[in-house]
Amino acid sequence: MRRRAAGRGGTLALAAALVVATAAPRPAPAQEFDVDTGAANVVRFISRASIEEFDGVTDRIDGYVLLTEPALSMGMETNDTEFYFEVDLASLDTGIGLRNRHMRDNYLEVKRYPYATFQGALVGVSALSTGGYRVDTTGTLAIHGVEREVRIPCDVSPAGSGYRTFCSFQVRLSDYDIEIPRVMFLKLADEIRLELDFTLRPAGG
Amino acid sequence: MSNVCTRRTLAAVFGVWLLSTAGHAAAQERPVRWRRRSAPTAVPVTVFHSTQSANLPTAGTLKKGEWLVEISHRFLPPVSDGSDALWGFDGPVKNRLGLAYAIHDRALLGVLRSNLDDNLDVSLKVRLAEGGGPVPWMVAINGGVAWNTDATGHPNDTPVQGYGQLIVDVQPVAGLALGVVPSWLHNPIIDAPKADDAFSLGTHVQWYATKGFSFLGEWNFSEARGDLRHDAGTFGIELETGGHFFKIILTNSIRVNPAQFLAGTPFNFESGEWRVGFNITRLLSFG
Repeated sequence: MRRRAAGRGGTLALAAALVVATAAPRPAPAQEFDVDTGAANVVRFISRASIEEFDGVTDRIDGYVLLTEPALSMGMETNDTEFYFEVDLASLDTGIGLRNRHMRDNYLEVKRYPYATFQGALVGVSALSTGGYRVDTTGTLAIHGVEREVRIPCDVSPAGSGYRTFCSFQVRLSDYDIEIPRVMFLKLADEIRLELDFTLRPAGG
Repeated sequence: MSNVCTRRTLAAVFGVWLLSTAGHAAAQERPVRWRRRSAPTAVPVTVFHSTQSANLPTAGTLKKGEWLVEISHRFLPPVSDGSDALWGFDGPVKNRLGLAYAIHDRALLGVLRSNLDDNLDVSLKVRLAEGGGPVPWMVAINGGVAWNTDATGHPNDTPVQGYGQLIVDVQPVAGLALGVVPSWLHNPIIDAPKADDAFSLGTHVQWYATKGFSFLGEWNFSEARGDLRHDAGTFGIELETGGHFFKIILTNSIRVNPAQFLAGTPFNFESGEWRVGFNITRLLSFG
């Protein structure tokens, strides 16, 4: 009888311990955000060469961001975040068909390297006075088959259940083994500005 | 009784555990790898880079809304006249001014004007089909009407001409483009007693040696008529920049507009009859 009572007490203690253990505060659930490919996304490169200025535009960006928390917040934990974005380079439109072909065939060689990709992690989130966030990222930018480690800041603002993201940074084409013919006319600058403006929405949403 | 109590306790513990982990289980799994949601954009087929060779059309068209401006010269003195004639560059010249507009990605409307008989030409080229793969190809049709506003003044003059062309381009190996252009021409000789029809077979080849430099060659097999006894042959180079094509050629034909060129040439294809010529085209977009 005592043994039996003792057994019941042990079971209850175990149950209580389990309840305490499992009911303890858990880290907030992770959340994945995907590029909303139906939104008005814009990826633009801007070339300002000595003879000619032009830009190339596409809306063909896709990818995801995985946060360790349900939403962005200032000072959030970024250790286990990750992201991956890719831009479909054959879709770039510079406004002139011949120049598009030169971009595709002569410079970017899109048949061999159809995508530019950026893969990495968030390294910091700070608040902006506009109500959004400055998100600092670091990762591998791959263009034309060449990978380079870069840090890119992006401004992110809430948009519905997701975010509108704007990133702007410079790229030196020679860093990515993109050869620019210099014999005739220099039409493409070595250093070009890339601007990405796109919407992220919760995955599965 | 005690067993029942124990089972209830365990059921409660399991229930609490389920509740406490429900939110966690609903969170998404970390993706192992990116799964692409759509295929990359297909790269448009290219055979010849330009919309025309020296004289023959290629099957290529422009992007809708683009303009093409052209100026072409054929110097009348042959190169064999030597330094006295600056190898032909002293002139005079037969020239052509052209303007084309892409009314559609597949349709190019052009107006050409040559000072030979003041030939004014209106044409429409339509790209019908193309294919990629190991041997890219492209097919188009081209048709035009020409009006010779300064014909010879002969009473038999029939100043209006017409032509139609089928254009087949292929790229058997990377960097080498071949074109075949069977053509029909109505009224090849505008001062002939009676307007008739002529047929010719245009062939041309271009080898793209680098990204901006290529060699080109043309031969138009034509029926001998009157003074136009010979086939027109052309060879030269093409320089390609961001928006220009520069062609520098040697040819035995100074008949530069389509209804003139297709009829043949009075000069034999031999070095003593070669003339210098050039074509310059510039793409413009105002969008």
